[in-house]
Amino acid sequence: MFKNYIKVAFRSLNKNRTYAIINILGLALGLAVTILVFMFIKDETSYEKHWNGYERVYRTGIKASVMGQTMDAPVSPSPMANAFRTEFTDVETATRINTVKQEIMVRYEQTKVYIQKAVHADSTFFKIFDYEFVHGDPKTALVGENSIVLTEESARKVFGDVNPIGKIVKYDNRQDYIVKGIVKEPKGHSHFQFDMFMSRNTIRNYWMSNGQYTYVKLKEGVDANAFLTKMRSNFMKKIEPDVERFLGTTVAELFKGESFYEYQIIPLKDIHLHSIKEMEIQQNGNIMYIYVFIGIALLVILIAGINFMNLSTARAGKRAKEVGVRKVSGASKKMLVTQFLTESVIQSFIALFLAFVLVELFLPGFNNILETELYLFNSHIIETVVFSLIVTLFYGLFAGSYPAFFLSSFQPISVLKGDVTKTNGGALLRKILVITQFTASTILIIGMIIIFQQISFLHNKDIGFKGDQVIVVPIQSDPMAKKFRNYKSVFLKNSNVVSVTRASFYPGDKPNQNMYLLEGSKDQLPLWNMDVDYDFFKTLDIKMLDGRKFDREKESDSIPYFILNETAVKNFNIQNAVGRKLSINQGSSDNTNYGNIIGVVKDFHIQGFNSEIRPMVLTISNDLWFASFKIANEDMTSTIDYIEKEWSKLEPSHPFRYTFLDQKFGKLLRQQENFGAMFLFLTILAIIISAMGLYGLASYTAAQRTKEIGIRKVLGASVPEVMRMLTKDFMKLVLVANIFAWPITYLLAKNWLSNFSYQIDMPILPYVFATLLALIIALITVSFQAYKAAISDPVDALKYE
Amino acid sequence: MIKLNELTKIYRTDEVESTALNAVSFEINKGEFVSIMGPSGCGKSTLLNILGMLDKPESGSYEFLGNEVAHLKEKGRSDVRKKNIGFIFQNFNLIDELTVFENIELPLLYNKVPASERKQRVNQLMEQIGIAHRASHFPQQLSGGQQQRVAVARALITKPPLILADEPTGNLDSSHGNEVMELICDLHEAGTTIIMVTHSSHDASYSDRIINLLDGQIVSEKKNKLVKAAI
Repeated sequence: MFKNYIKVAFRSLNKNRTYAIINILGLALGLAVTILVFMFIKDETSYEKHWNGYERVYRTGIKASVMGQTMDAPVSPSPMANAFRTEFTDVETATRINTVKQEIMVRYEQTKVYIQKAVHADSTFFKIFDYEFVHGDPKTALVGENSIVLTEESARKVFGDVNPIGKIVKYDNRQDYIVKGIVKEPKGHSHFQFDMFMSRNTIRNYWMSNGQYTYVKLKEGVDANAFLTKMRSNFMKKIEPDVERFLGTTVAELFKGESFYEYQIIPLKDIHLHSIKEMEIQQNGNIMYIYVFIGIALLVILIAGINFMNLSTARAGKRAKEVGVRKVSGASKKMLVTQFLTESVIQSFIALFLAFVLVELFLPGFNNILETELYLFNSHIIETVVFSLIVTLFYGLFAGSYPAFFLSSFQPISVLKGDVTKTNGGALLRKILVITQFTASTILIIGMIIIFQQISFLHNKDIGFKGDQVIVVPIQSDPMAKKFRNYKSVFLKNSNVVSVTRASFYPGDKPNQNMYLLEGSKDQLPLWNMDVDYDFFKTLDIKMLDGRKFDREKESDSIPYFILNETAVKNFNIQNAVGRKLSINQGSSDNTNYGNIIGVVKDFHIQGFNSEIRPMVLTISNDLWFASFKIANEDMTSTIDYIEKEWSKLEPSHPFRYTFLDQKFGKLLRQQENFGAMFLFLTILAIIISAMGLYGLASYTAAQRTKEIGIRKVLGASVPEVMRMLTKDFMKLVLVANIFAWPITYLLAKNWLSNFSYQIDMPILPYVFATLLALIIALITVSFQAYKAAISDPVDALKYE
Repeated sequence: MIKLNELTKIYRTDEVESTALNAVSFEINKGEFVSIMGPSGCGKSTLLNILGMLDKPESGSYEFLGNEVAHLKEKGRSDVRKKNIGFIFQNFNLIDELTVFENIELPLLYNKVPASERKQRVNQLMEQIGIAHRASHFPQQLSGGQQQRVAVARALITKPPLILADEPTGNLDSSHGNEVMELICDLHEAGTTIIMVTHSSHDASYSDRIINLLDGQIVSEKKNKLVKAAI
């Protein structure tokens, strides 16, 4: 019996090739999108799951508000990991790491290599993160203060094929480390990626400085919430002595008002998708994108499914005779439903095959945009295939159900006598389906435009400094740092080098934070420190709002001078900052060294657009490790070559490295841009599928109305008039779709924009544009069919009957 | 075999009500060959549809092989029809996507006859009807006469006791038409009951009895004295 169904299914598809292609292609596109999104989500949710016991591992963090200044970061103090290990019976082990923020030079004999992602870790690190050791013993590899572990790739870079165990490398020209282990790259994704691990086990017993990352692994069966309570009560006792020493008050006093200081933990597996704080080790993913992609995939597949339903029912008339004959020959309704469902399932599986081909085609671009490394035959291949089969089957049954039931309900007598054209049932449903399709497409178009507007808004936002044509060069050695200010003239000899300066860090990096006292007030505030030299404001074109910049002539070396940013002044709540005195809180009041606030600088971004600007204080220093050069627009390459040549003469021990300042900053926007690109791709897909469906419907409608068209032409209708008649109904549907789309998009867009600290006002233009675009697309699609029908010979039309 | 009593069929649209059959009553015996004649719109096709259980009457009774079937649900009607009635239509009504063999085989499939038996019966019937040489061709590749012969074979494959024919030669030229009528006569001689709707008195002359309909009612019934014998 099924053989008969399958035979008929294929022959029927072959006979109506255009519709079969539209259906199958549209469905294939929809399935391809679903598969890609599934693969992406599987990948994104697989983070950390390769570590043994990962379900019991947590990372700590702090959420605090102290005197109006907030902090919410996954950082912890130096002694915390050890406290976990020694004072809590619920803890299996804990570890502490400190990431190295820039690349480090590692030297072995004559080989000098820059390692990108180094980390200091204590001896229990590999107990929680069980890297596979090729050489060495995880239990002892990070004991002491000068052990180092390398990944296979780093080891190869430094040592070539030599077995590195026991060899000594020089780290950053400063310290010797003994190689105690070589590890393989981990088998799965993690929220960090390290190339090199240096042991650091000393503990600085100061609880108020949070610059490390601590991970704790609980014993089996321990309840995390109960543990958190214990942890908080224990640690709040620990910060008491430091609070008294540095803030001059007690913990109870401090947290009386609005202030609070709360330790937190987050499960390791949730970090990648749910932790979006400042000072993450590297940029994490975002659960929001997952939801959005799922939503879009559903929309796309909905649109494709609607096509299928629509085209099948529209063309039902052609199969009506067959239905009648089969019924007369003894088929029951159930048998007919089974037959038609078989057909739609077959179509779905053909589409699935095509979908996999499309997935292979799309993957490189997809990986490029989302910065993933997905490929079909990865570790999730079985799940992907099973998922695809289930979706396809479900799809074939679901999308095929309506046409199947519709077709099998035809009464034999009406269809066998040729009254097929009268069976135009389902017209209303078809209209509803088309409206749904175009609503979905319009939502996507509007969304896409708004996303791009928001992104370019961020791009063009005044970041407070000019980073184009500025290169940043890290200083690697002490002598270079000490003598740099004397070397500036060497570089400036080249007329294309406009200005040279140094600072203690650059955008994208993490600054230091200290507590500062304002003279004459009880207020102490945490401020970010930025040390700069005299040419800083000039080189980066940062504007002053009040007072003056640092000036070599006007200042003596014994008194500190400070420049605050706008936000700092606002937080201190003072009218005129210039002239007042400020001091770092050294901990004991007799050591307070007040300096003058000489100026207020306009706020500039350091951490990327999505963070608010923090209160900052700038000071002059010679201990600065990032140089930057503003160079002229012409001949940039040769200017950089010149700088490199001169630099290498001055700092021969380390190879010259540089990045463009605006690129460093631009990287922070990358995730949003990727998201936007993905959205664009999916939107285009959705539009294509909708247009295909509309094309199919339009050709069916034109065929339906052949007789009517013939009569009208005989009575004098012109081609444009006939075309208008045929397209009018479809245009109405698209307009209705837009009426639905606008409010839905408004709500979704408002929600998405609220994720940004700096957001555009809701624009009107995208809505209008999207409506026009939808209308034009529909018009073009339908007109083609309408034109064909309108120019046909009336004679042919009338003979039809 | 068939007993109709006061059978009435009314077609309704939003505004118009038309009575297609008005309290029609007659009987047909096993083995009879009956023609139903009348002008366009007199209700012959409606009558045939009801006889074939493709439609339900408004009121009245229809006894088929001793059972009342007038108000059966579709499943019930389908079951009776499957086993007992074969149809021959004016416009052949073959399924274009199936070959000659598959078209003829179709009723056997729905009657759950196993594959080997199907093959044997279809081949045999094709030989009898004279289209075995076209077994794997599609309807579009056949002439009108050949298509109708396939349709006749399909109607016969389940060996139904009753054949209903609706203008069987309507779309055929005279020589092909005669061929089909010969086939139908052969069936009649073999004992099948045949009810045929026709315009053509030439065709009607092959039958035993002629019932004339006008405006939904029987106006006359006469036995055919001159039965054209098969040549």
